[in-house]
Amino acid sequence: MISRRLALRGTAVTAALAASGTNVAFAADKTYRIGITLPLTGADAEAAHLILNGALLAIKLANASGELKGIMLEPMVLNNATATAGQYDPAQAATNARKLAGDTMVLANVGPEMSGSGKAMAPILSMADLATITPSSTAPALTDPQFAGEFVPGGKPIYFRTVTTDAYQGPNMANFYAEILKVPSVYMLDDSGAYGVGLADAFAAQAKIKGIKVLGRDRLDPKAADYSAVLTKIKATSTSSLYYGGTMQAAVKLVKQSYQIVPSIVKGGGDGILSPEMMTAAGFPAAEGWYATNASPHVVDDPKLASWVALYAKTYNMQPDDYAITAYDAALVAIAGIKAVLKSGKPLIAANVRDAIQTVHVNGLQGPISFDKYGDLTTRVVAVFQFKQDKSAPLADMNKQTHYIGVAPQS
Amino acid sequence: MTGSAIFLQQIVNGVSLGAVYALLALGFTLVYGILELINFAHFSVFMVGAFVALVVLQAFGLQGQSVILHGAPLVFTLFVALIVTMVVSGALGVLIERYTLRPMRNVKGPMAMITTIGVSYILFNLVLLATNAQAINFPDPMPQANYQIGGVVIRLKEILIWIVSIVLMVGLNLFVKRTKLGKAMRAVAQDPEAARMMGVDVDTVVMIAFFAGSALAGAAGMIFGLYYNFAQYSIGYTAGLRAFTAAVLGGIGNVPGAMLGGLVIGLIETLGSQYIAARWADVIIFSILIGTLVFRPAGLLGMLAPNRS
Repeated sequence: MISRRLALRGTAVTAALAASGTNVAFAADKTYRIGITLPLTGADAEAAHLILNGALLAIKLANASGELKGIMLEPMVLNNATATAGQYDPAQAATNARKLAGDTMVLANVGPEMSGSGKAMAPILSMADLATITPSSTAPALTDPQFAGEFVPGGKPIYFRTVTTDAYQGPNMANFYAEILKVPSVYMLDDSGAYGVGLADAFAAQAKIKGIKVLGRDRLDPKAADYSAVLTKIKATSTSSLYYGGTMQAAVKLVKQSYQIVPSIVKGGGDGILSPEMMTAAGFPAAEGWYATNASPHVVDDPKLASWVALYAKTYNMQPDDYAITAYDAALVAIAGIKAVLKSGKPLIAANVRDAIQTVHVNGLQGPISFDKYGDLTTRVVAVFQFKQDKSAPLADMNKQTHYIGVAPQS
Repeated sequence: MTGSAIFLQQIVNGVSLGAVYALLALGFTLVYGILELINFAHFSVFMVGAFVALVVLQAFGLQGQSVILHGAPLVFTLFVALIVTMVVSGALGVLIERYTLRPMRNVKGPMAMITTIGVSYILFNLVLLATNAQAINFPDPMPQANYQIGGVVIRLKEILIWIVSIVLMVGLNLFVKRTKLGKAMRAVAQDPEAARMMGVDVDTVVMIAFFAGSALAGAAGMIFGLYYNFAQYSIGYTAGLRAFTAAVLGGIGNVPGAMLGGLVIGLIETLGSQYIAARWADVIIFSILIGTLVFRPAGLLGMLAPNRS
């Protein structure tokens, strides 16, 4: 058995050498790895592949440019999804985090996509001082010092983000309601979930500061079908707007029934409703006019990025979205950290790369990127979209069925 | 809106909601009355019924809320969809009875009830897998007509729900009370042995009870879809549990009791949301279930099926 295993290992090494021989320009180059952990199969697969390719493109371009003198970066792609979960699976994410932490050639990680996976990965990566840069997970707890014992047991922040958090999504949207839409009053709803309640709380607090009258607050049971009683109650308050914190499960019914009962008031929510289900399940005309936000700037249509978008589309045969851009930026952050370590002359190990990322300033596709002492992005851009039907486009086409309004005013 | 208009509007909301619960509660009551079996598969038959109606309406070329029909084509489409849905759901109920419950008929204890839970989960998961857990936009060919009386808005859909529910409920009540088959059902409910000796075919009676109960669940599923404009694998459980509460509240086994129970639960839900808070709806409803079981175990109108010795 041993000899057989050794023989297999020998074959693998030869194969690896052969493979690297075709890619590596200089024989002296040393190969290090960057992890990429995403739910690549199941329900989240489509979005995850857009993110994956963003990160791969950044690594590919860095290798090709030779900017990391004497170093080649090899992406180590791990699937955070399982067949049993049918989508992202925090248990698998934890297994992957252990794999990354146990590999001394891994310098940093890009991912995860989901906050649920992030919560499973953060404690393991923290003990290994291995930085991860997430392009899309927005739960504030992951970087909140209040939960440091849970998610940062190693002491130093390792969870960096190239998107902002829900702690800004809610308040910035409240500013948008007050300053742009100029609504005098709002009724608050949430879906009883941690995300939805947190988002609605953050919105309501800022709305009060901005002088919007909060006329009431109700909690929807996402599994219930009938919200007509709550909506009748809302109608009776003569509120001029409605804000909903939550995901699509309750939103499908809320959007339909609010169209029947309170059709003309302003309605909006967070990134939980910036979803194709808004068109495919809730449907037009009910979804028409709803506002939704995203925790990153909307730059994919920016003319300045046209050549990057074209390169991405040509390389991977798909159109990037905003999280493909934040993923590209996340990989840029990891590469910048590695460059800084190389420049300082310190040993090239994950802990030193983490220290470098903490203070790095990167010119990303979305703009300048740097982190606060907890790992959160110092810019807090929240993009606002409005659902507007485009009858010529497929229903699930987010780019066509939503209209980009602009950046929500920051507090 | 004035205070009284709000109150009346919530009554309208509650009656519509109650009608769906009542239709579902009838299926529980019918089967319990005859077999003393709580049929948890009923939840999922309701949900499957909603999907059957969805497929039939889509076969008519209806997608989402884009196609609106009027007059005879509207009535014809809805009528055909309702009949197909009721027949398919009824047949599903018969299959469940024939292949999973009949072999258990003489087994004492909770075995049969647990089997219905198993069947319920199988249907639940089949639909979950088939739809990828997504909510589906239910076709709605009805015009968005409203009638305003005072400050109260009554929608065309609500009137339709009331009419269909009343017709089905009255029809079932007449069937059980007036027809020979209904008499046979009541006989089986009282004493299956004696009924058999009198020449009643017990298997047929049980099959018909399952067919009727499941067909009503299918009708409720279609009405649910038309009213709320969505269908999802999970709709059976929330509505089903409340309908079950309605059946117990009215007196399980008692057909008019199920209707009354459904109405009461619907009204409690909407008035509770208005004057207390929506998040307390379940707490109130299930407290009432427990209170009923403790203080009035026979329900508001009492059980019609006498206890067997």
